[in-house]
Amino acid sequence: MRYVLRIDPTRCRGHAVCALFHPDAIELDRWGYGQVVEPEGDDRRSARRAARAAAACPNGALLMMEVVEGTGAVHPEGTSAGGPAEEGHMAGESGLP
Amino acid sequence: MIGTTATPRAVPEAPAGRTAGGPGEPGTRLLAGPATGAEALAAHVARLGPLAPPARLATLRDTVEASGLRGRGGGGFPSARKLEAARLAPGEPVVIVNAAESEPASRKDHVLGTRRPHLVLDGAATAAALVGASEVVVHAHRNQAGTALLQAVDRAAEERRAAGMADPRWRLSSGPDGYVSGEASAVASFVDGGEARPRFSGNRMAARGPSGRPTVVLNAETVAHLGYLAHVGLEGWWAADSPDGPRLVTLAGSVADRGEVLEVGGRATLGDILTRGGWSAPPAAVLVGGFAGTWIDGPTAWWTRFDHPGLERVGGRPGCGLVAVLPAGACGLAETARLVRYLAGQSAGQCGPCVLGLPGVADGVEALAAGRLRRRGLRRLEALSASVVGRGACSHPDGVAHLVASALRVFADDVDRHLAGGSCDGATHPPVLDVPADRPTPVHWR
Repeated sequence: MRYVLRIDPTRCRGHAVCALFHPDAIELDRWGYGQVVEPEGDDRRSARRAARAAAACPNGALLMMEVVEGTGAVHPEGTSAGGPAEEGHMAGESGLP
Repeated sequence: MIGTTATPRAVPEAPAGRTAGGPGEPGTRLLAGPATGAEALAAHVARLGPLAPPARLATLRDTVEASGLRGRGGGGFPSARKLEAARLAPGEPVVIVNAAESEPASRKDHVLGTRRPHLVLDGAATAAALVGASEVVVHAHRNQAGTALLQAVDRAAEERRAAGMADPRWRLSSGPDGYVSGEASAVASFVDGGEARPRFSGNRMAARGPSGRPTVVLNAETVAHLGYLAHVGLEGWWAADSPDGPRLVTLAGSVADRGEVLEVGGRATLGDILTRGGWSAPPAAVLVGGFAGTWIDGPTAWWTRFDHPGLERVGGRPGCGLVAVLPAGACGLAETARLVRYLAGQSAGQCGPCVLGLPGVADGVEALAAGRLRRRGLRRLEALSASVVGRGACSHPDGVAHLVASALRVFADDVDRHLAGGSCDGATHPPVLDVPADRPTPVHWR
């Protein structure tokens, strides 16, 4: 299973449990908010860790989205330099958790 | 045609038959027609012809795609892709015309909506037809400019009903005036009954918006271009000889007429635009795209085309079309400090890095402007500014970081002088940009 990890920054309150459960993929920033440094994965071990981290977040801020093979890549985000966020869509997200 | 409602000036009409909106020439697309007041339906139809229902939607889709039209609200996203994503997503899409003009110095959506409401509604009807929506929401701020716009749109919608036009249902919506409340996902959230604050799902709204339905949020100017395109087809669109069509520009800062809205041809350079703002030689620097935009030094800006490829080469983007001029003698760092302080106060207060990071960035730039920062402090400021990039639900923090980076680059010589604690000639210069005071408290999101 290929998945993508993202943090909903409007929900993240910096509990930091995600970084405990999945330190390879999530680091804490200077304020203690989780920051995804390894947003994609496809091996079972990291997927299990990611799922645990997502389930452990008290705010449901860590989102693990399954990428359905053959439906295209994830839209690159965070590239716009100002102004409203660019539109795009993420293919095959399952909306976990 | 020069578009300004506040102080209409006598401007000679472009000769008939001349290519619309050539370099530096008054544009003749969106703001063509009467110089003041809202254009009535009869005059609009006499000028552009009736909006014929598209014979084949697939052809119209191809036309929009081939036009290369990109959003005029700030993001600059290809409109065809946005519409296509909504059309293909399950459920009946919602079309929202975003006329919530949050950039404090920008007036182009207001001018367009109050003067050419039928072109906006033609475009909205076209967008609805393209995605299969039966209702269009026109959303604006509650402030005076937004209210006037919605009144003009309401009157226009009434005219169209009376004329028996085959339009979608029109719904008017007015919401909070805040800076981030005009961001696309904030508007979609508000229209759905929620708060006018950006949503994390913002970048996937076309597939599934806050209401659960596919949601297309298009800037009012983008929609007007769409309407023009539906009227004239690709041939008429390409007549402007530019990849992205003409655009509306609001002049700010040190210009002849602050708040003047121009329609400029797609091949116009910033020099052409500045010429119309009363400059005959490059100013010290220009801020383009919005308050969270890009500083470009004057001589470079002068020959830079005001479109995506041209501005990207100098690290900028057209954004909402704001062009603010910094004259020689003013301090770009002091202006930036005021901008960043304002923008830091405009956070929706949802995302940690934005809430906690931006005030620190504002402190840093203020210290730099005041000559209180040294090398190490500058490095800390740069690191802090970079650390907020990509960390918000919307790109508000990204925009601030981008503004700061462009200021440090363009005003590098000034930075050195300020770091050395030397006096800045611009310290006594009166403020150039009309940056609003702190927003009123309490902040309302509904």
